[in-house]
Amino acid sequence: MTLRADHVAGAFFILFGIVVHALSGDLPTGQLSMPGSGFMPKIVATLTMLFGLALVLRAKESVPFSEVSWSGGQHALLVTVITAGAIALYEHLGFIVTMLLLIMTLLLVVERRHPLRAGLYSAALVLFTYVCFAWMLKTPLPEYSF
Amino acid sequence: MENTLISLAHGFGIAFHLDNLWYAFLGCVVGTLVGVLPGIGPLSGIAILLPVTFGLNATQAVIMLAGIYYGSQYGGSTTSILMRIPGEASSVMTCIDGNAMAKKGRAGAALCISAVGSWVAGTFGVVMLTLVAPPLATIALKFGPPEYTAMLTLGLIFLAYMSSSSLVRTLLMACIGLLLGMIGIDNMTGHFRYAFDLPELGDGIGIVPVAVGLFGLGEILSTPSHTVVGEVISPKLRELLPNRQEWRESYMPIARGSVLGFVIGIIPGSAHIISSFLSYALERRISKHPEEFGKGAVAGVAGPESANNSASTGAFVPMLALGIPTGPITAVLMGALMVHGVNPGPQLVTEHPDVFWGFVASMYVGNLMLLALNLPLVGLFVTVLRIPYAYLYPLIIMFCIVGVYEVGHSIVDVWIMLIMGVLGYALRKFQFDPAPLVLGLVIAPLLEQSLRQSLIMSNGNYTIFFTRPISLGLLIVCAILLGLSAITFVLKQKDWRTKLAEAEAGEETT
Repeated sequence: MTLRADHVAGAFFILFGIVVHALSGDLPTGQLSMPGSGFMPKIVATLTMLFGLALVLRAKESVPFSEVSWSGGQHALLVTVITAGAIALYEHLGFIVTMLLLIMTLLLVVERRHPLRAGLYSAALVLFTYVCFAWMLKTPLPEYSF
Repeated sequence: MENTLISLAHGFGIAFHLDNLWYAFLGCVVGTLVGVLPGIGPLSGIAILLPVTFGLNATQAVIMLAGIYYGSQYGGSTTSILMRIPGEASSVMTCIDGNAMAKKGRAGAALCISAVGSWVAGTFGVVMLTLVAPPLATIALKFGPPEYTAMLTLGLIFLAYMSSSSLVRTLLMACIGLLLGMIGIDNMTGHFRYAFDLPELGDGIGIVPVAVGLFGLGEILSTPSHTVVGEVISPKLRELLPNRQEWRESYMPIARGSVLGFVIGIIPGSAHIISSFLSYALERRISKHPEEFGKGAVAGVAGPESANNSASTGAFVPMLALGIPTGPITAVLMGALMVHGVNPGPQLVTEHPDVFWGFVASMYVGNLMLLALNLPLVGLFVTVLRIPYAYLYPLIIMFCIVGVYEVGHSIVDVWIMLIMGVLGYALRKFQFDPAPLVLGLVIAPLLEQSLRQSLIMSNGNYTIFFTRPISLGLLIVCAILLGLSAITFVLKQKDWRTKLAEAEAGEETT
């Protein structure tokens, strides 16, 4: 049997439903006349599992899992890691330094742009945004706090 | 009727206030840019800019955000016509004949027909909104928890039925959204659910991190910059006016698209996308020269562009009158109103007349602004299109982070956005449309509360949903839609939804 995309997706959603049921263990289901806080999540988790099962059963309509295109996966991974780094630093380094680093890293590492052009673009963009938010819109942005 | 006109006049008084005119203008410009730029849809545009409206009052905020929404429908046509890249999903059908017209040297005429059609349809939609929403709100005041439960269920099933992906996939996404919407404190019992001892999750997961993650960051992760290439056709300003023949060929498709779009807009689902597809199919079906479609038929631009603008306005009817979002964009707009302490729904017209009528009147003004803006500034938008995507997406990521953080000054929200971005990327790889997830997230608290209240009211007797006429009627419609889907599935027929999916997929690969 060929493993297809919907086999994987359906199995994931069935597993997700099971996890939700497991996490809902201590939530009271209540009765029909007085439903508890676990009532609705358990119904929806069960529906998720059923739909996941339907996906698995109809999986032959989907493409083989080996044919799912992951081209661009490297781009996605790099952007995710760089963005995660920026989020981790955001409240410590503040808006200006973090965003300068974020945009420069994306342009240099992911896009392989000329360092001078990348630096100038990043600086201009971050300063313009800072002026817009902090001065014109009076929206406080995080400051350097180490 | 007289009351409506008096209230509308009051609304114009509010809309013509200088501040409100400025925010409508700002919304229209930003919306057009959002529509023009590939990679930022109206949903992520609205979600990212939501924090900018926090310093405004509710009327100004909704005027600006709605301007972004319908402005993006105008802007989306520019990239479709000049680059054959849909700036946003509802412009897919415009690509076909709009770009063919541009290649024949009629880019200016195509842009002009698209702008005029959008204006006519947008204005028609607002007139209908003015007439339909207040009486509908009066009827909705009679709704109790069982009616709301039935209506929200119908909304989800309608969304699944109208969706171009399969019913099971759409309902699966809605279920995930519902589960995410149940995170946090249970309003009826005070239990903490799935919060993992994180106090930030006590209030639940916000719609902004989810929407920005799925649609903003998710789109960027799925789009490596080397894949975004396109030749921009620059129209000359003196060639903007269509000739007499082109006008003659466009006015009936505009009229049909306006009516069709509004009707579909009221129905839950990605109405603006579906309406443009149906309008294109209708125009081709009734045309005396169907062979011209795909080669630069004027009706192929006028109809779909009018339909998607009218549908955008139609989608406001259930949102404003019933407090029920028909899609993810209206869900985010509802969230924006709630942030400002205004609950959309039947009481909106009576409790916040300034917001309701000011918003409705501003849409008349906004549509006129867009017509005036789009044609003279087409050169500017073409310049924007020439900015390489490699320089554009770091800017969007910065706005995603700042936008989400500023909503609640919570870094947890920004992490949620990143997780949702990765989820959005994975969902796209497995052919799932993330839009129903956002809708599920928004309606989860309302659906859960109304279902539990209904059961408490009836002492646990679930037949309460079948003994009240309105809820019974709504559930019968649910059953019919499920039956229709089942028939299509069993007979393996290709219905219009399958054709829509094929058309979207075909356009994406060109």
